[in-house]
Amino acid sequence: MKLRKEMGLIMAERKIDPKVLQRRINRVLKALFIAGTIFFILVPILLLFKISVSAPQDILTQHPPFLIKNFTWNHWKRVLAAGHIWVPLWKSVVVATSVALLGIMIAAPAAYVISRLPTGIKYGVLLAIFSTRMFPEVGIALPISVTFIQWGLVDTNFGLVLAHLIKVLPLMAWILTGTFDSIPKDLEQSALVDGCDKLQALVIVVLPLSLAGMAAASILCWLESWNEFTYAVYLCLADATLPLKTYYYVRRGNWFESAAYAVFLTIPVLIITFALQNYLKSDYLSGALKY
Amino acid sequence: MAALKILFKRYKLEMLMVLPLIIFILGFTLVPVLQCIYYSFQDPLTGAFPTLDNYRLIVGSRKFGDALKNTVLVTLIGLSLEMSVGMMVALLLTTKSRFRGIFRAITMIPMGVPTIVSGVIMLYIFSSNGYLNEFLYRIGVIKLPIDWAQGGLRTLFMVAIADMWKVTPLVIILLLSGLESIPSSIYEASAIDGATRFQNFFYITLPLIKPFFTIALIMRAIDAFRIFELPMVLAGRNTMFLGTYAYSEYFDYNNIHASGAASTILLLLIAAFVFGYIMMVGSREVEQ
Repeated sequence: MKLRKEMGLIMAERKIDPKVLQRRINRVLKALFIAGTIFFILVPILLLFKISVSAPQDILTQHPPFLIKNFTWNHWKRVLAAGHIWVPLWKSVVVATSVALLGIMIAAPAAYVISRLPTGIKYGVLLAIFSTRMFPEVGIALPISVTFIQWGLVDTNFGLVLAHLIKVLPLMAWILTGTFDSIPKDLEQSALVDGCDKLQALVIVVLPLSLAGMAAASILCWLESWNEFTYAVYLCLADATLPLKTYYYVRRGNWFESAAYAVFLTIPVLIITFALQNYLKSDYLSGALKY
Repeated sequence: MAALKILFKRYKLEMLMVLPLIIFILGFTLVPVLQCIYYSFQDPLTGAFPTLDNYRLIVGSRKFGDALKNTVLVTLIGLSLEMSVGMMVALLLTTKSRFRGIFRAITMIPMGVPTIVSGVIMLYIFSSNGYLNEFLYRIGVIKLPIDWAQGGLRTLFMVAIADMWKVTPLVIILLLSGLESIPSSIYEASAIDGATRFQNFFYITLPLIKPFFTIALIMRAIDAFRIFELPMVLAGRNTMFLGTYAYSEYFDYNNIHASGAASTILLLLIAAFVFGYIMMVGSREVEQ
């Protein structure tokens, strides 16, 4: 084995075959591209963390160092001690959880019906639901904001939940249709034959089988709401959500607070995204591709 | 009529199940969009309908012209970057290697970062005392810091790159599922026929993943036209896009009619792109 390797090396030295050379150059280029991609992806996140734990003299200078020179937890301590973070954090949690729960209650039954429609109609309905994505959010948020001011829903959690549902429901219906598609019709049919009525067949047979998909869909929608910015900026004038609060600190030019808030905002998302990676790969998006 | 009644009776449960979603989408998506279009044709002072005054007002202003130009340009720049890099990474992820799993996990990280946070991060990198300037200074390309947010093409590039960082993973996922759907026997056959790598890519891979490519492109184009958070954080009020322009007309000038008109134009732009692309791609398929 070793001998053969050495022979190969000697052969290569003697006369460099252009094909082998080409292959080697390709391999080096490929490695460089991969290294560049990884660098491009990771460095921004490391920088964010670095700023949230660096002393001011490392950041507020014309030539900031790339590595952490003066480490400090001060920004974190200050943000937590000042306590401005708890109200928006609580608001974000409440809104996102309500959106996920209400969303599943509205979208799951509808998605089940859509999934049992004849193929042609189903395709049309899904396309219609998808086409709501084409509407610009600023165009929807404007009349919603005007109407909600009249209804007294601005700055309420309920108003924001309604607005987030606009964004979340189509996505949820989309994912869940895929989930219900994977449950064979025959199962319900046999339940009906055994004497269940339609509702019983749904609750006893279909519901348990679709629980995993529903959980994944509601978690994804929780994230959508947690990250949501556009409707929040139109509908929250006095009490902000966490993304909005982060934005206010950015506007004030406060690097450390915005970095700490941003890290705070990112951690749950990052954890959930990785936990759900398998769903992100296929089920989440393949709904769009299967038909 | 009687048949319809039977249909209703038979599918009462199904109707009840699907009704909340339909009511919600009609009431909270379709009605607002129509309302927004209505505002855009309404006279700001008298409330008379219809009038083109709002459109005349904003189309005449330079700010709107810039916003329109910026939106189209950032979409073009962003899409070509995202689709080409996304395709390259997706192709790399299909080749067998020891590090594929970890590379794939790393490429998915930006999906776990909220858009607003990716904006904050890019702000640190692109600000005048940020890390990009420092990097360029250290390697000796520049002497004085560049103000990336001052406007013009460099600001558009900044926003496009920030957008690309956040959304390329989505493109990769979509293209990868397309690539994985191609059976390897096709490549074996083409290898027997002596096809080169380029021939493989252009005559086998691209045509076969076309539906996936189209979906990725359309989804990305829609979001790129609607770009809002990143310009809000990065570009401030200097470089406007259609989304931020509509926001500013409402919040800074309290003019719902101009804001509605800008949103309507944005909606038309998106619809024109999507249908234009589908028609173009569709007709080409018919020709083949």
